[in-house]
Amino acid sequence: MNWTKIVFIVIILAMVVLGIIFYRPVFSYLIASLVFAYILDPLVTSLEYRRVPRWLSVLMVYAVIAGVLALFTTRMVPMLINQGNNLMALFQYSDKPVSEQVLALPFVRSVFEFLQNIDKQVPSLGFSAKFVHLIETGNQLLGELPKLLVDNYQTILSMISFVITVPVFSFFMLKDKQALRKGMLSLVPNRFFELAVILQDKIDETVGRFLRAMLLEVIAVSIMTSVALTIAGVPYAVLIGITAGVANIIPYIGPWMGAALAVLTVLITGKPLSMMIYAALAMYLVQVLDNNFVYPVVVGKTIRMHPLIVLVTVLAGGWFGGIIWMLFSVPLVYIVYSLVRELYINLKQFRLI
Amino acid sequence: MVKNYLKWLWKVIRKPNEHQALKKYMLFRELNPFELSLVNACLHNREYRAGEVLFEEGHPLEVLFFIVSGEMQVTGKLNPQGSAVLKKHQFIGVIDLFGNNKRSGSATALTDLSVLALTESDFQDLISKNKRLGNKLLKACGKFLASYLQDMGSGY
Repeated sequence: MNWTKIVFIVIILAMVVLGIIFYRPVFSYLIASLVFAYILDPLVTSLEYRRVPRWLSVLMVYAVIAGVLALFTTRMVPMLINQGNNLMALFQYSDKPVSEQVLALPFVRSVFEFLQNIDKQVPSLGFSAKFVHLIETGNQLLGELPKLLVDNYQTILSMISFVITVPVFSFFMLKDKQALRKGMLSLVPNRFFELAVILQDKIDETVGRFLRAMLLEVIAVSIMTSVALTIAGVPYAVLIGITAGVANIIPYIGPWMGAALAVLTVLITGKPLSMMIYAALAMYLVQVLDNNFVYPVVVGKTIRMHPLIVLVTVLAGGWFGGIIWMLFSVPLVYIVYSLVRELYINLKQFRLI
Repeated sequence: MVKNYLKWLWKVIRKPNEHQALKKYMLFRELNPFELSLVNACLHNREYRAGEVLFEEGHPLEVLFFIVSGEMQVTGKLNPQGSAVLKKHQFIGVIDLFGNNKRSGSATALTDLSVLALTESDFQDLISKNKRLGNKLLKACGKFLASYLQDMGSGY
């Protein structure tokens, strides 16, 4: 037995474990930077092949993104904040008690009257009182949002540092992409070199293609929803559009969340009930367009999983870590699955198993 | 004084071609310095000890090997004599790349061997992402295949 080799491997493993412990706090930064780098890589590479140095290509792409964001911030953000504030104000600032204010809304009024009628016939049920209590509890939760923001200033500060750090990390990942790839492959023994190349390519292909497809899908659904809801006359169309676009990433459940948001907004803003149907129809139309035209072209067959497995994965992700895990559980499971599959096929082809 | 400054400036602007050595390989002979730098960014340095196997017949083809120093023995059906020894500035993998992406023979390091490895996906990227570079690489591959056929005695 080669003791030198064993000692060397143990030292390397110990260093890896220590490294993981030491760098653990910045793992989320690294993952976010990697995602950002994967999305931008095709643009940077295409500029590089047009004789623009890679570092300059990254800076040029960053400049374009900063420009788009600046335009979006000046044009859209004030409108979005305004829409968000109006939606919140509906529940918060008034001389009347909140329950009275919400009860004045036409749809809620009719539901309340219906419950009062039931109470008159069967007084012991007390449905109307329970209904008022439900409204008050909902409002209390919404009212605590600004307080939550103040209480969590540390979290907000770390979010700001996150937003600043990620582009810096991504810059180096994009600029030195080939050097990083070479560095990783240089650690692989000769026997497994070609296998490692195949796996690295597979990760690049699956992750890169999926992330870029998802981004395009979010943008497409956000724009389509905003336009459809604006035509239907639903208030806060852009805000709902963007939320529905992001929620749409969650398979099967996401589209329903977007539609529910649109319908609820019509309800609480006291618009005529017919608009609720228009909003639902608009959301349905967006889903038809997305499922038949956008999704097949943009996302295509980046993920080939049985619907049942997708649904189970989304639900498990939700139980495990909430909305964020619902968003990422399916691609994560798919990437692990396709890597294991590729590893198995190639281990056989290279006659290693 | 001014002359020295100009000389220095000229040196900085006109970088010496760091990747000139790659031109020794038939595949990269026609490439300009910019194209050579793109190729160089994709090359992996690998070292093999004498007797170490690089690949075996039937393995999937994922990498083209360019010999920097040392000797490599190749056996398989593509060699009329049964085996051949490849030396500095020769390469292997192109014929199989245009075949069925499987290794048609086996390769073993005869001496300690230093090679540059170009992955198949990087090679495809180099061809597809820059038309001029792709054209030159494919032309060089064609030339190489033609010379191989002539060596085999087919002559067509």
